[in-house]
Amino acid sequence: MLVVFLLFSLNAVLFGDQQKIIKDDLDFPYILTSPPQRIISLAPNITEILFDLDLGEKVVGVTRYCDFPEKALKKEKIGGMIDLNLEKIIALKPDLIIGFRGNPLRIIERLRGLHVPLFVLEIGTNLETVFIIIEKIGTITQKEKKAEILVESLKKKYNKTQAALRNVQHEPRVFLSIHGTGLWTCGKGSFLNDLVEKARGVNIAGNIPRKWLHYNREQLIHDNPEVIITLSKSQREFSNVKDWIKNEAHLKGIKAVETDRIYFLDENLAARPGPRLIDALEELARILHPQFFKEER
Amino acid sequence: MKSRTKKLRLLLVLLILLVTGFLISLLEGPVETNFNDLWNLIINNDSTFRTIFIDLRLSRALLAFLVGASLSLSGAILQGYFQNPMAGPFVVGVSSGASFGAVLCIYLGLNIRIIGFSLQSIFAFVSGFAIVSLVYLLSQRKGVFKVETLLLTGIAAGALASALTSFLIFLKADSFEQAVFWLLGSFALSDWNQITAVAPYFFLCFIIAQWLARDMNLLVLGDDVAQSLGCPVNSVRKIFLAISTFLAASSVSVSGIIGFVGLIVPHGIRILIGPDHRHLFLFSSLTGGIVLLYSDLLARTLLQGELPIGIITAVVGAPFFIYLLSQRR
Repeated sequence: MLVVFLLFSLNAVLFGDQQKIIKDDLDFPYILTSPPQRIISLAPNITEILFDLDLGEKVVGVTRYCDFPEKALKKEKIGGMIDLNLEKIIALKPDLIIGFRGNPLRIIERLRGLHVPLFVLEIGTNLETVFIIIEKIGTITQKEKKAEILVESLKKKYNKTQAALRNVQHEPRVFLSIHGTGLWTCGKGSFLNDLVEKARGVNIAGNIPRKWLHYNREQLIHDNPEVIITLSKSQREFSNVKDWIKNEAHLKGIKAVETDRIYFLDENLAARPGPRLIDALEELARILHPQFFKEER
Repeated sequence: MKSRTKKLRLLLVLLILLVTGFLISLLEGPVETNFNDLWNLIINNDSTFRTIFIDLRLSRALLAFLVGASLSLSGAILQGYFQNPMAGPFVVGVSSGASFGAVLCIYLGLNIRIIGFSLQSIFAFVSGFAIVSLVYLLSQRKGVFKVETLLLTGIAAGALASALTSFLIFLKADSFEQAVFWLLGSFALSDWNQITAVAPYFFLCFIIAQWLARDMNLLVLGDDVAQSLGCPVNSVRKIFLAISTFLAASSVSVSGIIGFVGLIVPHGIRILIGPDHRHLFLFSSLTGGIVLLYSDLLARTLLQGELPIGIITAVVGAPFFIYLLSQRR
C-alpha cells in the first residue's frame, strides 16, 4: 500500500504539473516546461540543427565557430567550444543551453554549478547519432514534429547514397587527414571513421582505439592508402595540404600520391555531426566510387 | 620604531591595493557592468547580476587571492626552511609534484571526499610531499643546504613530475584545454566549492606558521644554535615542511600550476621589511594574494579570451629569478 502510494507520488513529482524530466547524455535531469524562448548553442552542429528546426529566432547565443547558416553569424558570440564565456552566457538569460561533448567536461560541470538549464549531447560514434541528436533537440525544444520530418528527409538522402553503393566490389583503403598539415586522423569509435566505412572505404586507422590520433609516418607508408581525403575549410587550405603531402619525400611512394588521388572534403560538412554530415557522406561516396554516381546531381 | 612605521605604511598600501583590486575584479569583465548594476544587485537581488558578480567574479577574485596567499606563504616558509631566497613551491618542484598527484587522482576516477578533504588534494599533497622530501634529502649534506643542488634537484624532480602529468593527460584527455589548465594554471572556472576547499587550510596553515614563526627565526641561525636556544628543531622542521607542501598542494589542485609567485613575493617582502618571520608570513600572504588578484585580472582582460595565468606570472617572475641568480656570487 505504502509502496503504491510512494510510486504515485513519485510519479506526480516527475510528471505532474505538465513537467516532464528527461535525462541528457551525461545522465543529468532536464526539466521540460514551456518551449524555450532563449536558446544558447555551444557547438556549430547544434546551431545548424536549431536553425533547421525553425528555431533560428529563438537562438540568442552561439560560438564563434557557428558560421552556418549565415544568419548564425549575426548572433551574439559566447566564446569558443572550449573557452566558453560564462559571464556572457549568464547575461543572455538563456532558458535552454545545449552543450555538446566537444565542450570540455570541466566547463560543463562549472555551468551546471551555476544552475542554468543545460542539456548536453554526446558526440557519438557513428552517423546515426546525428538522427538521435536531432530527435533529442526536437524533444527539448518541443519541435518533435519538425525534427521527425528533418530526420526522415535525412534518412531518405542517406538511404539513397547507400543504395547507390550496394554493388561496390572494392573498398579502397583511405587515409583521412583531418587537421591541416601533419598526419592527424581519426581511429575507431569516431563518427568520421563511420563516415568512411558508410561511404564504403576502409579507414587505415580504423583499428586504432583512439578517436583522434597522430598517425605514424612509417605506418602510413606501410598501409599504403589508395586515397587520401583531406578535410579542409577551403579549397585554398586544401591545396596547401595537398602540396605538403606531395612534397614530403617519404610519402612519394604511397599509391594515393602516385596516382594523385588526394581529395578535398569540406570540413564544415564532415567534421560536424549535424544535418550536413549526410551531404558529406554523399560527397565522400562520390569521391571513392564515382562510377556509381553517373547521373548528374 | 622606524621599521614599525614602515611596516604600517606598507600594510596601508597593501590594503588599498587589495580593496581596489577586488573592486576592479568585480566591475571588469566581458559583460559590461558598472556601479549601478552592483547597486542593483544589492537593492533588487537580480539573479543574473548575482550570478555574474557573486558566483563568477567574486568567487574568482577570492580564489585568486587565496591561492596567491597560499603559494606565497608556502614560499616564505620554504625560503626560511632552506635558508635560501631562491626556494619556492614551483622551483623546489612541489607544485609540479602536487599537480601530478591531482591529475593521477582524476585519471583513476577517484572523485571522493573523506572528512572534508577531497581525495584529489590528498593525492596532490602526498606526491608534492614526496618531491619535496626527495629534494630535501638530496640537497642536504652534513646539515648544510647547497643552493645549486637544491635548485637542480628541484628542477629535475619538477620536470619528472610534469612529464608524468603530461603523460597521464595524453593517455586520457578530455581535451587539450585540460593540459593547459594543469601545466599553466587558470582561475577561469573557479567556484565557491573551490574556495571552501582552499580557505580553511590556508587559515589553518597560516595560524600554525605564525605560531612557529619565532622558531623559524631561530632555524635560520643554524640547527645547532636553534637547538641550544630551546627550539625543538626536528619537529618544527617537519611541521613547516608539511604545511608548506600542503599550502602548495591545495592551491595546485584548484588552479593548476602557477609558477614564481611563491618565489618573488616572499623574497621581495624580505627585502622590504627584513627577515623577521613573524611579519614575513603575514606580509607575504597578503602581497601574494594581491599579486595573483591583479595577475588574474590581466589574464582575463589582456586578450579577448582567457590567458593561462601561469604565462603572466612566469613572464614577470622568470626575469626576476634570473636577476636573483645574477646577484649571487
